[in-house]
Amino acid sequence: MSLELRPRIERKTDPRAVIRNIGDAVFQRSSELVGICLLLLVLLGLYTYYYPSLFTGRSVVVLSAQFLPLIIASMAQAIVMLTGGIDLSIGAVVSLVMSVFAVLAGTPTGVLGAMAIALSVGVLVGLVNGAFVAFARLPPIIVTLAASFLWSGATLLILPQPGGLIPKGLISAYNKGWNGVAVGVVALLVMLALWKFIARSRFGLSIYAVGGNEQGAFASGIRVRMVKLLAYGLAGLFAGIAGIALTIQTGTGDANLGTPYTLNTITAAILGGVSFLGGIGRMRGVVMGALVVAILPILLLFIGVSPFYQLVTQGGILIVAFASKYLLTRGKQAL
Amino acid sequence: MSDPRTRTHTAPADETAVDAPLETRATSIAVHNSTLRSTGRAVLNNRALLSFVALAGLWLVAVLVSPSFGSPATTQYLLQTAAFLGIVALGQTLVIITGGIDLSVSGVVAVAAVVCAQTAETAGPAGAIVAALLACAVVGLFNGAGVFFLGIPPIVMTLASGTILTGVLLIYTNGSPRSANVPLLKALANDSAFGVPLALVLWLTIACIAWWLLHGSGMGRYAFASGSSKSASRAAGVPLQATTLTMYIGCSLLAGVSGLVLLGFTGTSSLTMGNPYQLLSIAAVVLGGTSILGGRGHLLGTVSGAMLLTLLTALLGTWDVSEAGRRVALGALILILLLSYSRESKR
Repeated sequence: MSLELRPRIERKTDPRAVIRNIGDAVFQRSSELVGICLLLLVLLGLYTYYYPSLFTGRSVVVLSAQFLPLIIASMAQAIVMLTGGIDLSIGAVVSLVMSVFAVLAGTPTGVLGAMAIALSVGVLVGLVNGAFVAFARLPPIIVTLAASFLWSGATLLILPQPGGLIPKGLISAYNKGWNGVAVGVVALLVMLALWKFIARSRFGLSIYAVGGNEQGAFASGIRVRMVKLLAYGLAGLFAGIAGIALTIQTGTGDANLGTPYTLNTITAAILGGVSFLGGIGRMRGVVMGALVVAILPILLLFIGVSPFYQLVTQGGILIVAFASKYLLTRGKQAL
Repeated sequence: MSDPRTRTHTAPADETAVDAPLETRATSIAVHNSTLRSTGRAVLNNRALLSFVALAGLWLVAVLVSPSFGSPATTQYLLQTAAFLGIVALGQTLVIITGGIDLSVSGVVAVAAVVCAQTAETAGPAGAIVAALLACAVVGLFNGAGVFFLGIPPIVMTLASGTILTGVLLIYTNGSPRSANVPLLKALANDSAFGVPLALVLWLTIACIAWWLLHGSGMGRYAFASGSSKSASRAAGVPLQATTLTMYIGCSLLAGVSGLVLLGFTGTSSLTMGNPYQLLSIAAVVLGGTSILGGRGHLLGTVSGAMLLTLLTALLGTWDVSEAGRRVALGALILILLLSYSRESKR
């Protein structure tokens, strides 16, 4: 499957072998990310060709605000995939949090109160998914598919028509920068630091262990069910943050805006090197994958492709990403 | 819950079904009870039977709640609408038994209806139906090829192809699909013969064919083997390529048939008309007692699963709830039903 699972080359005290081992280790550790990094650079190069002022402060502010929801939602998807599951309800959860936040933001609860409630809804929804997967031992596909039905219905109950009142100041601070600070970039760095902290903790290691080998993790004393439950809850938190960011970015709540996230987050996670079987994957790869997924449609618009083709390309990238990974790794295994 | 006699008869078959080779399974049934031998591998296992028991129970509840459920007219209507879901779910069963899943059925239902409506004027009804089914077969081939040759997990492959289909239909119809009047489809969807809806007849006919394919033919045995263990069946020389492609094409074709009947029923095509069937077809299969992990289950369970879901939807309809409320209730009910009898002990 993955290169990281191959037995390491013999470790000898011979200095040349040591250097070779280090080289191999570095290459192996990041080889999954070289491809996506190159792809992202090519896309960014094309982007600057069509839109030379890409790397000016203003476009960074605007684009980071635009890309942030997808990036964070992809991190949520990656967390679930690391445990060996998949979340088909992520689009519905993003919409649900969006509608809760949009409805409450204009009421006396205030923006911060609305955020807190909306995030708790996200966590709660994630925990429900997790409880069905971990404790009821139902397969994640069917749980999250049924849940997507449930939550999209709940979203429509809360917010039948697009709407909601988000403070203008917040929208402009997020989309146009707050005192010259790109809020999207800062939020992304905070989220990455948060994940780094979690990934290094006992809980984070347990997520990787459970996804890599559930029986092995259980045998080494990890509370597999608890870890799964909490991982789904954490994914709910991330999906919730994505939903809030999307609401502020678009300025309204809309029950349908979350829908494409299910497919796009899976694509981003796969592109970013997260194994479909769980246990393997890095968040920086996922961020790059999400950037590719976000940039590609804009590039296609630049080239002059009709927006009707967006869905076709979205599905197409996912298939190409998977197929190329499969064909490449199969070629390596044969060598 | 279920009849104790049936339980003793079928328990051995169920036990061996999990991991024993197929020949052993057949012989063990024969040893335990020779009368069941004629139906052989087609013996109903506990879970499929259980779903029929649940269906009967729910129907009793429905009649108690609202006596109109017992009337012939309502029963007729329910069976007619159950057929639309039931035909998609039969196809879904074929794929799930092989260890796959098809999330693109919603797209395929729309493809069949849209292609048929779009070509009905120029190609005539027969030509339009053939064109629609051909388009569906191509989608099935695409799904199967992606899963088999490119090693893409079925969830991902069919999710992606479903999205691509929606995009392709947008381009093909320019965003505004047509309505069409195809008399043959209209009759198939709405008419009855001797009080039996033709849609039900079509559904049961297809169920018999699919039953033979899955439980009577060699291909069906390969499908079960593939769903139990891919590597073991590859080692045993099971023709995985032919099996995978056949089942995915079969699934798409059946979703297409359902789309055509739906076109006859509503008279119009739309890009989202298949959307409810994505979750409902999978739920019908699982509620019918088939393991979502593949390799275990019975096609007839799916028939009862589809009826169960249709009845549930109709029951929810009697309380005057909104579309959103119905979605919530249906999603929650499916989760609860899954909890009560479809837990996976096998990991």
